[in-house]
Amino acid sequence: MSFSEFVDGPFWYFSATVFVIGVLWRLIGMLSMGSKTDYSVPRSSGAAGALGINIKRFFPRSDFWSRIKLQVVAGYLFHVGLFALLFFAAPHIEFYREYVTGFGWTALPEWAFILVSEIAFLGLLLLILHRLMNPVTRMISDRGDYIGSILIFLVMLTGCLALARSHEALRVTHFFLAELLLLYFPFSALMHTFTFPFSRGFAGAHYGRRGVKV
Amino acid sequence: MAIDMNVFRGFAEQIKMLPQMARPTDCPENERVSHAKAIFSAKIDASNATHLESCVHCGLCAEACQFYIETEDPELTPIHKLDLLKRYYRREKAPLRWLHRLIEPEITEDDLKATQHLVYESCTECGRCGLVCPMGIDIASMVHITREGLAHAGLIPAGLRAVEQEQGSRGTVFGVGPEQLRQAAEELRAKGHVVPIDKDKADILVLTSTIDVLLFKDALEATVKVMNHLGVDWTMHSCAFEGANFGLLSGYSKVQQSASERITKQAIALGAKLVIVPECGHAYPAMRWAGANVHGGPLPFEVMAISEYLGREVMEGRLHVNPIGAGKHVTYHDPCKVGRHGGVFDEPRAVLQALGVDMREMPSNRATNFCCGGGAGLFVMEGAEPMRNAAFDLKRRQVEATGADSVVTACGSCRINLMAGAGRTQWATPIESLVELVGANLK
Ligand code: SF4
Ligand code: SF4
Repeated sequence: MSFSEFVDGPFWYFSATVFVIGVLWRLIGMLSMGSKTDYSVPRSSGAAGALGINIKRFFPRSDFWSRIKLQVVAGYLFHVGLFALLFFAAPHIEFYREYVTGFGWTALPEWAFILVSEIAFLGLLLLILHRLMNPVTRMISDRGDYIGSILIFLVMLTGCLALARSHEALRVTHFFLAELLLLYFPFSALMHTFTFPFSRGFAGAHYGRRGVKV
Repeated sequence: MAIDMNVFRGFAEQIKMLPQMARPTDCPENERVSHAKAIFSAKIDASNATHLESCVHCGLCAEACQFYIETEDPELTPIHKLDLLKRYYRREKAPLRWLHRLIEPEITEDDLKATQHLVYESCTECGRCGLVCPMGIDIASMVHITREGLAHAGLIPAGLRAVEQEQGSRGTVFGVGPEQLRQAAEELRAKGHVVPIDKDKADILVLTSTIDVLLFKDALEATVKVMNHLGVDWTMHSCAFEGANFGLLSGYSKVQQSASERITKQAIALGAKLVIVPECGHAYPAMRWAGANVHGGPLPFEVMAISEYLGREVMEGRLHVNPIGAGKHVTYHDPCKVGRHGGVFDEPRAVLQALGVDMREMPSNRATNFCCGGGAGLFVMEGAEPMRNAAFDLKRRQVEATGADSVVTACGSCRINLMAGAGRTQWATPIESLVELVGANLK
């Protein structure tokens, strides 16, 4: 079996399986820890609080803005760019159609693909630089944060190169790195992709019961 | 409404003596880790687990914490205060614990000791950091769980421990018990007030606090005046008058439970429909939110902070006050435990509006209000002094930005911390109590 056959075949199935099982394992594990009944009389609805925070937390409060704008802007550049690449780059849609969903959707034109790639790269580089240079993030970051950032950077880089050059070796490298990322994902802080609505929701419900809009 | 500054200074001196009054804890050194772990195990639920799983180490929480903002010390980063709890969670509870055990070292007694300063003296559990976190991680609640673990491991800082031990063993706080309450009531009666104590039945049980009995006597007098003015059926009770709960503040659940249940049982015996908590920040969540859970079922009465009660009575047209005049420019400091943790924002503002003052909000107000720096028991911890000072300096700038000529608040420990800061920095802006303003201006 050639390396490309390995990457396109068994390694893809293996990494996708680990990804799905790992993500579910972690989500179910944390959510099944249960909560004690809260007998206090709520001032307002916890469910509305959980929903509200999930929307509002996308928009930082103005009180904090002057101190956090760099991280927020960099975070948005990276996440929006990555989302667009992941779901609207033509080769990705083709991949989903063939292996996952069975259907496709409209892709970004090439100029837009280049633009969102640059946006995502800019955001990611700013976030990595911030992580390295800010005394707080430098102290609280662990190995996993750097591994995750570097893996995503390499996946994006090889993805762009593969698209530009249409070279088989680059495509295989890109696939291989993406599969490594899938394998790494459930064991890392990248899990926040799936945990954030719950995490926000619990806080929103807690404060919502108390009539505080957070 | 001047308070006797000699009494204030005496009170501050008494606080400094607290560490010497603390008894050794009864937790054997070699059982500290197991005691802390038992608490962590019992307390961590799905909400905490999700929060401990979700941090992306973005550092934004530091930018909301008054202690980091003022000191720029990365050690004070809010999420860093949870390192111990996170390590416990990862090794013992997390879905991937089998993996974490290969990487994360076991918790040691030294780790517990190293965390003491972070969760006691460097965090007021104010909850402001939780407002900025993109994941919504509720750091304050988990700082409290860490405190509970350390408390049961015998690691409450000495000053706080002394008061917790006193409340746990004698039921008094700073020596204030039924006798001192009756004495305070006699003083008020001598001034012509009716002060019902120990009635058999009453609709409303009014709590007070040691701080009001000893120091802010005008707040107690104003409360009495308001209750009488409203003509409601109320009483104080010498067996259940102390709103402060040093079990909650220290994280020692046995004392929290006894202090809370003492009030609950008395209120039930009185047939009370309402329990009013004094101007004491943490006394509010102790009864309003934790009271029912400590009791093990819904409480058959309502719990309100005095500021909330005053606001409700004003809003519903039962309480009438004389306008002080728009010439008085005030700003309102929301006590974290009543505001951000309690949802009481509109009521005190309605009272100030009825008083006709020119109300000026601070740049950060209501839910994002900055803590005074003395909350969660920091005002009785000697080692917290640099933190209290840092928070005061920030608060002072916030107040000065409004151009107000006085700060009104509804929490005795906020007042103490702000007054201590004002004394230290020769700041002349008066720090006033909401209930005292109402008491002095009843129609
Ligand atoms: S709860 Fe308040 S004091 Fe504690 S870390 Fe958060 S912002 Fe700082
Ligand atoms: S703001 Fe939230 S996600 Fe960011 S470091 Fe703090 S706790 Fe973690």
